[in-house]
Amino acid sequence: MKPTTPPLPPASEKVRTEVHLARFSLGQRWEHAILILSLTVLLLTGLPQKYRTAAWSHSILSTPERVELVQQIHHIAALLLTAEVLYHLGHAVYLLARRRLPGDMLPTGQDVRDAWQSFKYLLFLSKVKPAFGKYNFEQKFTYWFIFFTVGIMVVTGFILWFPEVWTRFFPGGIIPAAKLAHSTEAIVAAVFIIIWHFYHVHFERLNLSMFTGWLNARDTRQYHPLEYQRLTGEPAENSETGEGQ
Amino acid sequence: MLSRLPVRLITKIFVGAVRGAELARAAVHGGFSCAGACPEFRRDGARSILTREIKLLGACALLLAFSLTILVPGVNAAPLPQAGTPTPQAEPTAETGSSPLSISDQVCLGCHGTPGLTLNLDNGEVLELYVSAEDHNASVHGKKGYACVQCHTTVGDYPHPPFSAADSRDASLQLYQACQRCHTSQYELTQDSVHAIALANGNNQAAICTDCHTAHQVRQLTDPDSGELTPEARVWVPQTCAKCHNAIYQKYLTTVHGSALVGEGNPDVPTCIDCHGVHNIEDPRTAGFRLQSPLICSKCHTDPQLMAKYGLSTQVLNTYVADFHGTTVTLFEKQSPDAETNKPVCYDCHGIHDIKRVADPEFGLHASENLLLRCQKCHPDATANFPTAWLSHYIPSAENNPLVYYVNQFYKVFIPAVLGGMAILVLLDFAKLVRTRAGRPKLKGVALPATVELSPDTPGSVELPPEIPADIEPFPGTSAGTELPTAPLAEAADLAGESQPLPPDSLPETPEAAEGDEQVSHD
Repeated sequence: MKPTTPPLPPASEKVRTEVHLARFSLGQRWEHAILILSLTVLLLTGLPQKYRTAAWSHSILSTPERVELVQQIHHIAALLLTAEVLYHLGHAVYLLARRRLPGDMLPTGQDVRDAWQSFKYLLFLSKVKPAFGKYNFEQKFTYWFIFFTVGIMVVTGFILWFPEVWTRFFPGGIIPAAKLAHSTEAIVAAVFIIIWHFYHVHFERLNLSMFTGWLNARDTRQYHPLEYQRLTGEPAENSETGEGQ
Repeated sequence: MLSRLPVRLITKIFVGAVRGAELARAAVHGGFSCAGACPEFRRDGARSILTREIKLLGACALLLAFSLTILVPGVNAAPLPQAGTPTPQAEPTAETGSSPLSISDQVCLGCHGTPGLTLNLDNGEVLELYVSAEDHNASVHGKKGYACVQCHTTVGDYPHPPFSAADSRDASLQLYQACQRCHTSQYELTQDSVHAIALANGNNQAAICTDCHTAHQVRQLTDPDSGELTPEARVWVPQTCAKCHNAIYQKYLTTVHGSALVGEGNPDVPTCIDCHGVHNIEDPRTAGFRLQSPLICSKCHTDPQLMAKYGLSTQVLNTYVADFHGTTVTLFEKQSPDAETNKPVCYDCHGIHDIKRVADPEFGLHASENLLLRCQKCHPDATANFPTAWLSHYIPSAENNPLVYYVNQFYKVFIPAVLGGMAILVLLDFAKLVRTRAGRPKLKGVALPATVELSPDTPGSVELPPEIPADIEPFPGTSAGTELPTAPLAEAADLAGESQPLPPDSLPETPEAAEGDEQVSHD
């Protein structure tokens, strides 16, 4: 051993380790990354088209060529999003067929009770914080909100893209209705993601598990005690009461 | 126009005549002789006749000038370049020799009042030089007492200065320049017009002042009090344009506007100039004209008083602008006014000159199949349902476009409900977070349930079930230099520098770990 090596800590000093529990698979993380990419591009190219009467939009969409370009980028990102949606649904159907689709994300009556309990807890009406499983009611709400929002956006988007085709089977009124829904829903979704999702994963606590795939055992135990218990077989109740106040 | 000074008018009249007289003095009559037709107009006696006339006319001229100033405020008196020259005396001076107003119309009519007076032009055409005194007297100029020489300033004396023209059109093109001396602003407007541009590009048939207004039968078109076109003049306008644009006139006569104008004398409907402009008539075939054309229609169609008379909606512009096509056209109109776009403007659906009532049983756009034909111009694949995609200038309501209306109503409830509820939950959560953190700052540090403490000599004491695909990260600060004897811990120590957990794929897989991974890998 060289003399320049810093001295090792005494053998008696304890080393703290952190345990990480797997939370998201590689495929799920890729799906999330594609969602981020496509939704960002769609939002950035969609907003100027929605606010065509605004001065800032005018400076972007100043010529027919630019309008065309922005629309093309929007369409390409839309195709990416559509592919992602099809993959997501296809994967779920595949798992369902093999009876391996986990039910973690399905909304249950427990979520309603959890939401009510959380509401009481947040208002200091109750000291008991509900114990959540792998996904708490807020995360389920996020998923299903984005799920239906993306569904509306994809369907209305294709109506607007191919109005001649859709009016062959549906009344013409769906075109302006789709336009209204598409542009309004986009704003709802953007505000939802910025307020709700960003608050929960960046501000409340920095939760990068969707990027790393892992959530440390401490957070798992604190925020998803039932999941912790399921994974480790170790009851999380004790810590929960200590944590949750 | 209305605030001109009487002095300026007098100056103009006098100076114009002085110029004419000066030029006329050096003149020789070109091309023909009118001695036979004008017996009193002998070459050698001309001067003495003029001198005699001066005596009579000198005082009259002053009187006329003042009366014109008072009685005819509508006369356009654009300043002349020589406006600064002193007002000539009514009595001729020795230098000028003849008074500017010394040449009465009677003198001119002495020759030009006789039919048959002609001039042979270079190409052999025969130019009629006869002017009907009745025509002139009935014209706006004649009524206001303008004299021939006030327009024909170069021919005030006899013999006239030489005049030659290639053909009769060339003669008109030379003579119409007189108009701009008084009507300068109108003339300047015409310089931007499609006609002036065509003329400059060599089309000598392009309309000039006298083609529309005539030379000697110029009519009073505006009401002197209001400055607006008189109702008769509104009918004359399309007839005037029809002299060249007859096919369009015939179409116009059958339209909602044209039939009302010609049939009923309705002064509310647009004539040609209401859309195309009066003197600065723009080329309507340009992209720029197309993009700003909705503003032409909306001049009347957003006027509440005017539209109320006919029970028409004033929402046609804003409903158009609110839709795909209209927003884009408005955008380009502002940002790139010369851009070519296939986005429809008003006339693409309603027609350019053949504008029909929307309720017209045969051609009206209320009939879906008529509208479909318009849609198919740009959407060739459009089918019968397609035209209803256009909201027909309605603001969506439960009766008109209910689908759009109810989608809108839905979002009116949905947005506040979702965003409001969300905001409340986030705020409550945040308040709780702040109070919890502030009140119990140490709590989290104390209760780290998943953090196990290891000493190098007791690696086996990690109290974790074997199925957890655990990445064991040494505590920062102590980990880097610590050599751990067991393999998993050594791996963790290698990774500590990056402080990144191991991706699941690269973990040494045990059956349990694979199973555990499987369980959490999807929703």
